Amino acid sequence: MATATANRAVLRRTGRGMLLYLALVVMAWCALFPLLWALSSSLKKQGNISDTSIVPAHLAWSNYRDIFDLMPFGRIFFNTVLYAGCVTAGQVFFCSLAGYAFARLPFKGRDVLFVAYLATLMVPTTVTVIPQFILLRPFGWVDSPLAMIVPGLFGSAFGTYLMRQFFITLPVELEEAAILDGCSIWQTYWRVLLPHARPAVMVLAVLTWVMVWNDFLWPLVMIQRDEISTLTLGLVRLQGQYETNWPILMATSILMVAPMLVIYAFAQKSFVRGIAMSGMGGR
Amino acid sequence: MFIAPNLIAVAVFMAFPLVFTLYLSLHRWDLFSSPTFIGFDNFRRLFAHDPLFWVALRNTVIFTAGTLIPTIVIGLVVAAALNRKLKGIGIFRSIMFMPLVASTVAMAVVWRLTFSTDYGVLNTALGWIGIGPVPWLTDPAWSMFSLCLVSVWKSVPFATIVLLAAMQGIPADVYEAARIDGAGAGRRFRSITVPLIRPALVFSFVITFINSFQVFDQAYVLTGGKGGPETGTYVLGIMLYQNAFSFDDIGYACALAWVIFAILLVLTLLQLRLTRGDAYESEA
Repeated sequence: MATATANRAVLRRTGRGMLLYLALVVMAWCALFPLLWALSSSLKKQGNISDTSIVPAHLAWSNYRDIFDLMPFGRIFFNTVLYAGCVTAGQVFFCSLAGYAFARLPFKGRDVLFVAYLATLMVPTTVTVIPQFILLRPFGWVDSPLAMIVPGLFGSAFGTYLMRQFFITLPVELEEAAILDGCSIWQTYWRVLLPHARPAVMVLAVLTWVMVWNDFLWPLVMIQRDEISTLTLGLVRLQGQYETNWPILMATSILMVAPMLVIYAFAQKSFVRGIAMSGMGGR
Repeated sequence: MFIAPNLIAVAVFMAFPLVFTLYLSLHRWDLFSSPTFIGFDNFRRLFAHDPLFWVALRNTVIFTAGTLIPTIVIGLVVAAALNRKLKGIGIFRSIMFMPLVASTVAMAVVWRLTFSTDYGVLNTALGWIGIGPVPWLTDPAWSMFSLCLVSVWKSVPFATIVLLAAMQGIPADVYEAARIDGAGAGRRFRSITVPLIRPALVFSFVITFINSFQVFDQAYVLTGGKGGPETGTYVLGIMLYQNAFSFDDIGYACALAWVIFAILLVLTLLQLRLTRGDAYESEA
């Protein structure tokens, strides 16, 4: 009698476990499906695009080669890496400096200034994109790589906020020891604090990289020439020209998303932490 | 000295634009001639003489509601499912957060293929169960639905991450106590989980709201940049882009930008105020 009840309880629990797994599989399938479908369609021939099998009978790898005939893909890929790399390096450097100052160096008006920083986080991109465009015009930076790099190079309010929040949690003793050992403020920052701030730096770097990589509105506004275009812009133009060449469009999408998935695979923790803090992923 | 470069950048690229946009919104300017001061004419034109503004506002509100509510509800369900100690749960988490890093533009291109009326996989699958072809992107009403679908797919992982982090912060003994008191799983979710993760709910709600209201990328890519078919997906973001960068009507676009900013600011503050009021009530 007792074993029967226990058995039933076990059965019910495994039943519920199975149901939960089933629900998880369905959810994961929904999240993954568009990516899988893009991969699958990128390997089909154009005439077979309505084929519903996930693994096509004949894998048309040549689609990936054809991209290079239709657009200067290598160049555009390189541009995107260049822009993302420069902006990321600049963000990490300048935001960590400013974040350190906001966290540790006492100066007049610091707290007021910090609140002003936070307030700028509220300003939506829609409001800033037009004046930024007008601002860069007299410099002749419209349709130049500088337009993609300079506005983000010196850091952002969000990055500074992120770094400050992290520096505050580091023990003051770290710096006191460094200063006792004869380090200048600069050396204290560079040699002692920054190495300790690696987790926060990772968060900021990964977020910035992905954001620049996927940004669309800014390059759309600023860039005309194909030679300095980014992947998002290149893909949209390709879609405009070859609207029904789906395998090529899918292959380009895959080549664009895959590097981010690799970064995600290695830095998932940093990325997830950053998303939860910044609210960037809601787009 | 440490702050200077960063401060200048933030001032030049964030604070100054806000003021500059307001200044330009009071002018007529085509980028080439010099701006002419016209007072509040741009705003008058927007509210009284441009029916497209009201279309765009209506569409943006529909889009925001159609994205926000499913995102939070699905996010809550997914977070609850992921908040279990099961074998392999890490893999499920990794997969379900993947849409976050995928470019919205690239994924909108991919979704366009699945939405294709004649050979898209969605219509093929619906055909198997006897449902006729759905005009996903060729009918104005359906195209808004499709736009919401793409956006929900993209923003659910964010809500999930925020809500899951909050759920993990709830101590296990609270649930244990409720179980001993005879509360079932549904009751525990409603009476413990939801109230305790309230701040995270508000956070994901507000952020998703702000981002949805400014939707641009997916609307531009899915419907060829014009907010079509007809005005089916003509949202405020598209209207702003067209006026500023296709029609060179900078003053008018700046007026629109400020209206968007004002709406966002008021609604965000209202949401924060309302939820704070609720919190006080439940404490009393």
